Amino acid sequence: MVLGFVCVKGKVVAFHSSRGGTGKTTVAANLALAYALEGLNVAFLDLDFRAPSLFAVFSKGVRRPVKKWLNDFMHSRCSLEQALVDVSEEYAVDGKLLVGLANPSLDAIRNMMGRSRAWEAGAAKRLFSIRSSLFDDMGVDCCILDTSPGIQYSSINGVVSSDVAVVVTTLDSLDVEGVKNMLTEFYDEFEKKSVILMNKVFPQTRIWSDDKRSELVSRMEKFFVRPVVGVIPCYCDVLESKRASLLVVENPGHPFLEDLKEVMKKLECT
Amino acid sequence: MMAVKTGKKGSPTLDIKELLVMLVNEVSQINRKLDSMVESSGSILNAQEEFLERFSNKSFLEDFVQPAPDMLTLLSLPGALRKTVMACYKLQEATAEDLSRETERLRAVESACANQLVRMGFLSKRREGRKVYFYIK
Repeated sequence: MVLGFVCVKGKVVAFHSSRGGTGKTTVAANLALAYALEGLNVAFLDLDFRAPSLFAVFSKGVRRPVKKWLNDFMHSRCSLEQALVDVSEEYAVDGKLLVGLANPSLDAIRNMMGRSRAWEAGAAKRLFSIRSSLFDDMGVDCCILDTSPGIQYSSINGVVSSDVAVVVTTLDSLDVEGVKNMLTEFYDEFEKKSVILMNKVFPQTRIWSDDKRSELVSRMEKFFVRPVVGVIPCYCDVLESKRASLLVVENPGHPFLEDLKEVMKKLECT
Repeated sequence: MMAVKTGKKGSPTLDIKELLVMLVNEVSQINRKLDSMVESSGSILNAQEEFLERFSNKSFLEDFVQPAPDMLTLLSLPGALRKTVMACYKLQEATAEDLSRETERLRAVESACANQLVRMGFLSKRREGRKVYFYIK
């Protein structure tokens, strides 16, 4: 096991968790926007077809009605390029931010459920194919996938087709045990490269000494047998704010973003 | 109560009227049974219709007739075969040589695995000159 960090450029990075409510979407959305603000061309895709949320997160930048959804791409009704919405101008990023939105309508959600195994295999094939469209044809630098929690097709197709998966967990025992099981029974079977991001950990870790933090990180790395790319404490004001808020642009001075920068550093090879 | 008469040789005979009544009774019984059969077959037809409507996207039926290399099915495959399918997903279409470069295993191993997967219905293959390409259906 190599405890090395990964370079995000030219990579598809999937955000996954064993259970809901770990802050996966908040972290992934802010990270995508932060990369775009730094000048990278980023594609951010919502693969949570059962509980779509990026539509709300990027509501400011998305013109309605949305012409094509990511669902249309998964159903082979359009190309990936047609399913991406460019929100770069609205968020004044130096790079490019393209978002692929999952359709939040009940009809669309129902339509994505109960698909045959053959259809799911086709969906996986399509997700594997996005690499060439994004990196070769559209000049995208990195792609971030926001998947649904647990083991279900919409998440595992994304995880398996990605280059690296960031598994977000809290310190809650159900989360920790759930992640451990998922890593052993799914990630290891697919020899999937993955890293751990600890989110919403005790608020007091903010004032912990470096040694104490390192001790927590090394304990978790030993337990998960994977590198930990960040420990983000629980911020009450983040919890109290809307889940759709993008702190990177709405509150750039927030300490949460300092933690996010640390994650970015570790995710990059530089 | 049926009237029983004795014939020439002493065998019991039935009055024609009573015989007809008996026949009518029997026919009525047969009718009732036929009605109940029609009713049951109607319920079967309704259930059949409901089933077809429920699985109109054919996903349920497809799963029975078409093996697919979806991720959960792959979990039940031996690791060696799973590795080949994953390489096929990544490369979209590949020869045994391409697969062996991707998986860092011998070409012969990849060829054997890929052909096994074709027999299992998880992969397809096509020939182009001397080369054989494997791909996910």
